[in-house]
Amino acid sequence: MTNRERFQAVLNFEKPDDRLPAVEWASWWGDTIQAWVGQGFPAGLGFHEIAPYLGLDQHYQFWFPHRNADCPQPASFGGPIAEDEEGYEQLLPYLYPDKDIDGIIEFIRTLKGRHDAGEFPIWFSLDGGFWFPRTILGIENHLYSFYDQPELYHRILDDLAEFQMRTLEKLYSVLTPEFMTFGEDMSYNNGPMISEDSFDEFLLPYYNKIVPYIREHGTKVIVDSDGDISKMIPWLKRAGIQGVLPLERKAGVDVAALREAHPDFLFIGAFDKMTMRESDEAMRQEFERLLPVMKTGGFVPSVDHQTPPDCPLERYHKYVDMLKEYGRKAVLG
Amino acid sequence: MNTELLKNISENLQKGRAKLVKELVQQALDEGISPETILNEGLLDGMNIVGGKFKAGEVYVPEVLIAARAMNQGAQMLKPYLEEAGVQSIGRACLGTVQGDLHDIGKNLVKMMLEGKGIEVIDLGTDVAPETFINTAIEQDCQLICLSALLTTTMGVMEEVVKKAEEAGIRDKVKIMIGGAPVDDAFCKKIGADAYTPDAASAADVAKSFLTA
Repeated sequence: MTNRERFQAVLNFEKPDDRLPAVEWASWWGDTIQAWVGQGFPAGLGFHEIAPYLGLDQHYQFWFPHRNADCPQPASFGGPIAEDEEGYEQLLPYLYPDKDIDGIIEFIRTLKGRHDAGEFPIWFSLDGGFWFPRTILGIENHLYSFYDQPELYHRILDDLAEFQMRTLEKLYSVLTPEFMTFGEDMSYNNGPMISEDSFDEFLLPYYNKIVPYIREHGTKVIVDSDGDISKMIPWLKRAGIQGVLPLERKAGVDVAALREAHPDFLFIGAFDKMTMRESDEAMRQEFERLLPVMKTGGFVPSVDHQTPPDCPLERYHKYVDMLKEYGRKAVLG
Repeated sequence: MNTELLKNISENLQKGRAKLVKELVQQALDEGISPETILNEGLLDGMNIVGGKFKAGEVYVPEVLIAARAMNQGAQMLKPYLEEAGVQSIGRACLGTVQGDLHDIGKNLVKMMLEGKGIEVIDLGTDVAPETFINTAIEQDCQLICLSALLTTTMGVMEEVVKKAEEAGIRDKVKIMIGGAPVDDAFCKKIGADAYTPDAASAADVAKSFLTA
């Protein structure tokens, strides 16, 4: 069974022949790699070299840019680059960079042969209807904008959807990725940041423009949101979303309860990264917690965000061994 | 006293109607209601209700933000009257996101909720060095130090703040509170802080309990 077939099987709630995929859905913290270099890890490896070095399966992610390299930057982290309709108008020449997309599509074309051969799954990411306006309006102003500037919010999402549809047409003319994520981060430790009413008024119409087209092509549609996404899953399902990641345990996400409530929903992540700071035994207990859900299919276990820098390299190697061990148990019993 | 007017202030604050809240605060002042009563039974009452609903998951972050904005605008109108009358806050806190971490929405929510309890807040912003928390607590006579972190890579700085408070000899004079995605009660105990709270409204409740104990 190829790497790609293994991934496809899980996404389709089928059992792979040998084990579940063993992947890190997100790259490693720079601080973590730096700490590992001091413990014998080779310096200077890129993501696609790190994964095989650590014994993980290969996958390719493409996060399509939504603004060009010349786009103004916020004055401070999380600050706005446009505050109102006029500011957004001025920003438009820097947004929705079709030319940059063309370059990425050409690179994806070069991977098509290896993808077709099953060497790796491909996934892509789009800025979602919560995330993208936040990068424009700034973290706090964005939250005010649901009440202060609803027309502008709708306008941004209309423009975003048009750009993303153009991007998707180009992508699907080359190949069909296994899954995609909408980068959102719209939940936190205590659940959703916005109400269901706000979700329905702003995000649902946006998803309704994009999601059916992606699903038509057979790509699984997943929302990427840190924090506790549990309460939002029924809202997301109404929008045609098929899964979520990374299911942060620290935020209180209980993947077993979610599986019971949503037997047909895809999950990626859920492995409590905090156990990696503790001990090998804590990691094993965490895999034991996840094993029943791993057996239900539709679940790719992975670190529920990124490996903390105080997880020693030696313990990380043991994590990868256990990931494969429990991946086999999930499939073979 | 026009209790209906105070109720109106509270209800409109809960809906984030800042302009109307300001008009009603002015009306209350014109009717001779004391600034302290307007603050406590109008503005803080409204913010307390919003805090309770936020804790219960009945309202969300945007609703808290617009309510807090209405409260701040109303409170700004009352400030000169409160100062003239010698009304004091119930205590003073310095608050910030710890060094290496630039995330501030959680920290800002805590600030709003603390102010909603009548606590004066010195907001140190993000990426705040441990020494800055300690120096501010000493210089500004703060009874509370509130620390926020979103990242597993920065949560360790909280322990440094606790140690520096001990080294500076102020540990028994300040309560150190922590919050943020990667921390919990066990971590709080491990580093020797005084309280972990899971959300901004709970942080304000605990802060008030420390200051009024």
